[in-house]
Amino acid sequence: MELSEKGGIQNNGFVQNEDFEDKEMATSSQEEMPKTCSVDVEPVAVEETVLKPYAGMPKEVLLQFSSQARYRVTREILFWLVIAGAVVLVCATIAIIALSPRCLDWWQASPIYQIYPRSFRDSNMDGNGDLKGIQEKLDHITYLNIKTIWITSFFKSPLKDLGYGAEDFYDIDPIFGSMTDFENLIAAIHDKGLKVIMDLIPNHTSDKHRWFQLSRNRTGKYTDYYIWQDCRQAAGSVIPPNNWVSVFGNSSWEFDDVRKQCYFHQFGKEQPDLNFRNAAVQQEIHDIIKFWLGKGVDGLSFGTVKFLLEATHLRDEPPVNKSQNGESITAYSQLYHDYTTTQVGLHDIVRGFRHTMDEFSREPGRYRFMGSDDDEKEDIEATMMYYGTTFIQEADFPFNFNLINMKNLSGNSVSEAVNSWMQNMPAGKWPNWAVGSPNAARISTRIGKEYINVMNMLLLTLPGTPVTYYGEEIGMENIASENATLPEKSPMQWDGKANAGFTEGNSSWLPVNSDYQSVNVEVQSAWSNSSLGLYRALTVLRNEELPLNRGWLCHVWNDSDVFVYVRELDGMDRVFMMVLNFGQEATTDLQARVPNLPSEAVVRLSTHFSNAGKVVNTKLIKTEMGEGLVLQYKTAKPVHTMEAFQGKCFVAEKACYSKALNLLYVNC
Amino acid sequence: MGEESLKRRKGEDKGREDRQSIQSHEPQTMNLQKQVGLISGICMIVGTIIGSGIFVSPKSVLANVEAVGPCLTIWAACGVLATLGALCFAELGTMITKSGGEYPYLMEAFGPIPAFLFSWTSLLVTKPSSFAIICLSFAEYASAPFYPGCDPPQAVIKCLAAAAIVVITIVNSLSVKLASYLQNFLTAAKMIIVTIIIVSGIVLLAQGKTDNFKDSFKGSKISVSSISLAFYNGLWAYDGCLTAFNWFTLSLNLPLSIIIGIPLVTVCYVLINVSYFTVMTSTELLQSQAVAVTFGDRVLYPASWIVPLFVVFSTLGSANGTCFTAGRLVYVAGREGHVLKILSYISVKHLTPAPAIIFYGAIAIIYVIPGDINSLINYFSFAVWIFYGLTVLALIVMRFTRKELERPIRVPIIIPVIVTLVSIVLVLAPIISAPELPYLYCTLFILSGLIVYALFVHLKFRWAQKISKPITMHLQMLLEVVPEEDVPE
Repeated sequence: MELSEKGGIQNNGFVQNEDFEDKEMATSSQEEMPKTCSVDVEPVAVEETVLKPYAGMPKEVLLQFSSQARYRVTREILFWLVIAGAVVLVCATIAIIALSPRCLDWWQASPIYQIYPRSFRDSNMDGNGDLKGIQEKLDHITYLNIKTIWITSFFKSPLKDLGYGAEDFYDIDPIFGSMTDFENLIAAIHDKGLKVIMDLIPNHTSDKHRWFQLSRNRTGKYTDYYIWQDCRQAAGSVIPPNNWVSVFGNSSWEFDDVRKQCYFHQFGKEQPDLNFRNAAVQQEIHDIIKFWLGKGVDGLSFGTVKFLLEATHLRDEPPVNKSQNGESITAYSQLYHDYTTTQVGLHDIVRGFRHTMDEFSREPGRYRFMGSDDDEKEDIEATMMYYGTTFIQEADFPFNFNLINMKNLSGNSVSEAVNSWMQNMPAGKWPNWAVGSPNAARISTRIGKEYINVMNMLLLTLPGTPVTYYGEEIGMENIASENATLPEKSPMQWDGKANAGFTEGNSSWLPVNSDYQSVNVEVQSAWSNSSLGLYRALTVLRNEELPLNRGWLCHVWNDSDVFVYVRELDGMDRVFMMVLNFGQEATTDLQARVPNLPSEAVVRLSTHFSNAGKVVNTKLIKTEMGEGLVLQYKTAKPVHTMEAFQGKCFVAEKACYSKALNLLYVNC
Repeated sequence: MGEESLKRRKGEDKGREDRQSIQSHEPQTMNLQKQVGLISGICMIVGTIIGSGIFVSPKSVLANVEAVGPCLTIWAACGVLATLGALCFAELGTMITKSGGEYPYLMEAFGPIPAFLFSWTSLLVTKPSSFAIICLSFAEYASAPFYPGCDPPQAVIKCLAAAAIVVITIVNSLSVKLASYLQNFLTAAKMIIVTIIIVSGIVLLAQGKTDNFKDSFKGSKISVSSISLAFYNGLWAYDGCLTAFNWFTLSLNLPLSIIIGIPLVTVCYVLINVSYFTVMTSTELLQSQAVAVTFGDRVLYPASWIVPLFVVFSTLGSANGTCFTAGRLVYVAGREGHVLKILSYISVKHLTPAPAIIFYGAIAIIYVIPGDINSLINYFSFAVWIFYGLTVLALIVMRFTRKELERPIRVPIIIPVIVTLVSIVLVLAPIISAPELPYLYCTLFILSGLIVYALFVHLKFRWAQKISKPITMHLQMLLEVVPEEDVPE
């Protein structure tokens, strides 16, 4: 057999190339081989003994040996293996792509750092913070491992302290700098890979706004830009069209001497409400949105949107206390605001804003975030409406004030605040949390210094986007100021120098808190056991650990002292359990709460830094007042799969982890 | 004189082509298929030089000079410089008509050791790693649309890159014709997107969108360091020239392709930048993640999806071009005997340098596997400029040492001097601006070639032969490859 095959193939060496190829095709089927060979044996023989394969042999020699079965079959197998390998690689890629979950967008992946620009950093020694100052301090934000900055209103406005009531939506208030400063700031923010969100309050303008001036003179299309009504004047006093009361108290109607009519204002009388039933007004707002997005702003937070529309019938709103009559009602809380807030059609307008923003979201990586900033203390369902539906997108999220609005602090109240958001949030939406805001007292003042760290730990370990108001990372306090409206807006405390490093000028617009020698960024960054140190450790943990980033939240236990929850991810046996103390010193037996809980867990992080790395017994977990623990343990049976916890677990953007491939996939 | 000999040279070329066409009817002679014409040649050059860089990050130049006018000037100047470099290589290529990239020039001017080090570095590191990098960036662009807002998982990028390497390797080792058809198609795609960008830019300009060009030199930041850095970044866009030069010296086809190709690329680069600037201000351009995509989004919507698609084609084209040329480089190195002979063998059936291409693909796949190769390979890129500079220096040296050689093309001596100086700057600039240990490791790796040289080339250990001979034989059988037969020149 060996010989005859050799002979047959040797013959192939003599024929022309084309013939040879034909023959090979013919002989490729194994059955035919011997036949061909036996026929061809005859004319061989002369020089066959000389030929032996050797390195560097030419074609003639090679072809006599290369189609031997052992080479040919190996060759074929290898060839098809390579082809199969390529196909497998392509299929694997397609499969992974098809199974990949939608990735977290920038507004989901990073915490948001909210800056009140007048108090952040003063670059020109006038005592007022400004945009250049923010640009100088961008490194502080990257130092916190945060990638999103939210700058509250900086439009040109005569009402400087409130930031409400723009005089010009297209310009920047001179105390904050120029448009060039803003463009430089945006460029600097983007250069650092950060994103920026700004405030837009479309409900009203300042009474100094050009539109209002034109409107009170009944000039062209501006005539109906505001809500004008005839009001009777009798004996020097104005009788308003109805009993509506402004948020700041007293009638929301104000008589205008120029136009001889009353205009409507939900807030102060210097802030006339725009008439959103006028299409031209809506168009103006859309143009403003386009203007700022065109400047490169990555997201807008729409403030006070629930006030956009009012009922056209102008009926009196029902009083809370039925016995009260028209004259005596002067405070906002004395009426039910059925006709001045959240009117039918409001969400259509907000969706219109979304639509305009979406036009700018097409470029990959340039999704424009939309938040709605309305504090509906009582009505969580009304807040959830801003999430939109699965069919019509609205805000990416309405800002969540649950943790700020808590009346008293205890493990129970925190757990209730968390649950109320998670249970009411529509499926598939993304939660968010804030523990401080420009309109609420600082944590240390509101609930006590000893709870600053545990509040930050709560904020940064809940699922969703955390929002940190500037200064909360170092635990700033309200200033004890006679100016009662702004104590939580005192200048940022950078270092121990004069004016806490906020300004090189002689004074600041609000006094710096007297505790700035010990509570400041410079001191705390040198001291690892500080609020700032913990804040950074938490943001790092959040970025590194997938369960904290996008995993399940399961509510495990709460009592008056502690609130306990776990964060876990399908497919990952590493689980994080948070034991946070919002009351007095307590000892908790977690094994009694969670079946199959390992008896020991490692303290990954603690508000008391010295405890990190210790091993604790899960039967006896001791927390001091205001102490928070991030425990880490391994388990094959995570809490969210247990029947006992059905209905206590929530997940947004569900994904599972594959350890083998180190990637996330969806259908699990 | 120069012109005359050029003509003669062309005549020779034609003669050789004729011979080849005769040869193709006589399949007994084992020779590499060289079925590449002038148009394909220009395509190959344009296709290799225009990488994906111009679509993704033309901003590095702008970032250094900060104004539109100087930016465009520098792009044009880089093109001129690249053409000068090409002319130097044209002189070398017509003077020493051996193929093998920079190797024969280094050999003639400096002796075997630098030449060996060149082969050593380029075969094991620079060429396969650049193939790997191009395939990785292809994979990134191709998978990016499926992961809006975040980075695709490494598994996806690596799978796709490996798939691209395998497919390109298969195509190139199966058929030269198929490979060059593929290349023509991908280059056509690239030229289409380049044309779309240029034409829409011109249309917008004609409509009067010239705001961004007013005071185009205003606010520019011009200093020696900023300009040299801008040049540094700009020249990288012409990096593919190196491959093109190598390819030219492989005597595939005529200097004409280069003389048409590089200025064509320069014109394209400048016009593309003009288009970008009509649509974007310099700040916007600096902020954009992928400039061409932003451009497409502003100008071509709702058809803006074609831009990323064509950018993907374009990267794939670069990958194929790199494989096509570098496979041949390995093959030549094998034939000259600085790597295993088997690498110079030619497939009996397909007339392609299959072992070289397979070797190249295999090494590239190895580079794809580890975690973060990009950074490491960036460090190695300075090695590319060392050898580039050395080659041009070789031109200067040979003007004095090898006066007797006939030089059909003779460039003024100042051109190689300039190019050498520029190479020195490009080698030293990154090391001085950010001195890091990896540069030392790279240098050590290059020098480690000396040990290999001493053991296997200089001393010629017999045991090495004993092992390699049977391996060569069996591989020959397995792959059906044979040595190229000498072509009577």
